Amino acid sequence: MKTLLDSIKGPWFIAVYTWREGLRRKTLVGFLILSLLVIFGATFMTSFINQATVGDVTTDMSLRLIKDICVTAISIFGVLITIFISASVIPTEIENHVIYTVLSKPVRRYQYLLGKFLGAQLIIIMNLCLMGGLFFIALYIKQRILPTLLLWSVFLTYFEFLIVSALTFAIACASSSSVLPTIAGLFIYITGSLTEYLKDVYNRSGQTGEWFDSLVGYIAYILWNVLPNLQRFSLKTKILELQPNDPPTDVLIPQLVLYGLIYAASGYILAYWIFRKREV
Amino acid sequence: MTNKKINFILLILFIASVLLGSYQGNRVEFLRECEAFYRWLLAVGTQERLFQSSEGSEKSDKYVDMNLFQKVSEVAIPILKENENTKDLIDDTLSTPENFANIIGNISNDPIIWQLSTRKELAELRKEFLKSLREKKIQYNRDITYAEAQASGVNIFNLFFGFRKIAASLIWLEVDRYWHQGLLHRMVPLMRTCVALDPNFVEAYLIGAWHLAYNATAKLPDTPQHLKKWSPKYNACVGEKEAFYYLAIDFLKNGIRNNPRNYKLYFDLGFAIYKNKMNDYPNAVRYLTEAVRVPHERWVRRQLYICLEMNGQYEEALKGWEDYKTRFPDNPVATRFVLRNQGKIYEMKAQELLKEAEKINDEQSKNEKINQANDYKMQAKEIWKKLSTEEGDPYGDYRLSLMEAMDLYNEGRYLESVAVLDKARWESPSNFDEASDLIIKIKQEANLPLTVSEKKAVLRKIEGDRCQGMPEKVPASS
Repeated sequence: MKTLLDSIKGPWFIAVYTWREGLRRKTLVGFLILSLLVIFGATFMTSFINQATVGDVTTDMSLRLIKDICVTAISIFGVLITIFISASVIPTEIENHVIYTVLSKPVRRYQYLLGKFLGAQLIIIMNLCLMGGLFFIALYIKQRILPTLLLWSVFLTYFEFLIVSALTFAIACASSSSVLPTIAGLFIYITGSLTEYLKDVYNRSGQTGEWFDSLVGYIAYILWNVLPNLQRFSLKTKILELQPNDPPTDVLIPQLVLYGLIYAASGYILAYWIFRKREV
Repeated sequence: MTNKKINFILLILFIASVLLGSYQGNRVEFLRECEAFYRWLLAVGTQERLFQSSEGSEKSDKYVDMNLFQKVSEVAIPILKENENTKDLIDDTLSTPENFANIIGNISNDPIIWQLSTRKELAELRKEFLKSLREKKIQYNRDITYAEAQASGVNIFNLFFGFRKIAASLIWLEVDRYWHQGLLHRMVPLMRTCVALDPNFVEAYLIGAWHLAYNATAKLPDTPQHLKKWSPKYNACVGEKEAFYYLAIDFLKNGIRNNPRNYKLYFDLGFAIYKNKMNDYPNAVRYLTEAVRVPHERWVRRQLYICLEMNGQYEEALKGWEDYKTRFPDNPVATRFVLRNQGKIYEMKAQELLKEAEKINDEQSKNEKINQANDYKMQAKEIWKKLSTEEGDPYGDYRLSLMEAMDLYNEGRYLESVAVLDKARWESPSNFDEASDLIIKIKQEANLPLTVSEKKAVLRKIEGDRCQGMPEKVPASS
């Protein structure tokens, strides 16, 4: 029991330290302030665009615009924060030589890595909570009903970020500068959002009868199966405009959570594999 | 453990996790496909139950929705029949698609339809649906793909990153801008793009239909009946205004297919378009009835009962208002409408008895019927008096005047009858047309001279409901 507690304690302390360090980063704070301004500003923006509408529809329209702007702001700024933090936690430690001090202590590499990964997740969760909280308040002020569906939306957004974060983190483990993993993180997000397109490529392949055409189709199909598909999390926006009595959502949420966790685990395994080979 | 072994284990773990992720991804994909199928079933079920019979003869063969729905229903109905919990839902007098559409129409059956959508027995049909979707042979509730979005000029960047909803909202702002610039012709295609991007954008359907039916037609003159053109698509005579009304109807119907559980769309179709703009009370009742079948605001029922009354369904309207009064005793309107419908029921019963009396030769039975009719008339008058004095509703006075005028008419005192009706129609402008029609009828029977506007009204009636290109035998529509 004591050994188990010790093996958890180490990563936890590193996670808390990473979290504190993250709070001091000006880029992250900048992104956070910007996102909060957009979410806050969304309520003002809607005042100017509903002159043609009347009655209840006006309220619904502005509510919808607030929801759309805020969910998009959370997605954009959230993913930027996720990528920046996941790309920099390890390379910064290497640049500052802090990693040598930590690893000279009785801390295993996987514990160190787990601590860093958890620390990055704490920062991402904190940012999401802040943005989601402000969005929650903005919506509550507007519609006077607690927007509980928003919590589900933010919850799902986190699991989308978790995949991006884990894979960016894996690349960061191979790099000594945070620039390359940041670019790679953006690439992962873009690719992840475009994976759906690969299925379209597969469906359209084989029409010419050429072997190369079919080959491209098969490659697209394999990639579509293997690569994480972030479009599957589109439920996070749908959920805000749910129709009454919508049974598919209840089934999809746990499956998406599991999907996010599995890809995060594969990202972490990859990160550990790369990191344990590294000479530090 | 050697380094090689650890690396091998990690490699295995990584591959296993990716494969597991792929497996889980396929499970999510399966659910998403089932969801698309489920939403399509709701859309086509709504089409089959509400719109199919009322649509005109111009139907496209390009789409396979209705054929596929029939196939699905042929598989689904036996499954439902076998199940103890669901076998009671099936009505053997109806055809299979009608039966399935009726089951879909009930909001409480949504979990059953969802379960059906995920079943193995429907796997082949689900595949066929997805194949037809890819081949663009599905008309209802289909999600547009990247290529289609690019072709319609939507910013592809927004779509790629999953921000379709904000893209739809931004396009809607353009629609709003065009509205203020008076560029109506530019609004319509953008409105369609907007709802194609986000089929659940209910407000876009509502505001779009409102622009089309109200704002676009505000300055248009009424087209005389003989100048209207027959539209096989709508099974109706269409003038300038009506063209916009039908565009609005199509837009709302599309919204209903995509959001069959949203009362606002049914309400706007029934109340704002069919009742207010087209005076088509049977259709108004039809869609308002649908609006109250799904979760709705309390005022939706009131409009339904008003439309029931306007459609001559006084008994149903009375039942509805009585129920409403019990549920919301603080409502000031319900009592008035209960009285109105009671009064009309008595009047109707009196008229029926008088008609029956006319056919009877036996004096005693005839007198009995007439006495009964007079009793009903007295009861109706009591109610109209009550409505006028206790509730302060001028409609009570109007009905009293109307009854008085009809009594005078029956006694052959035509001039006095016309005078009473003339006074009544000016005191109650909302019933002007009804009173005017009665005046014309009495004047014609009594050979009294008609005014110019009355002559015009008579001519319009002689012209009838025919318009240009109208077939001799109008196809039946519900």
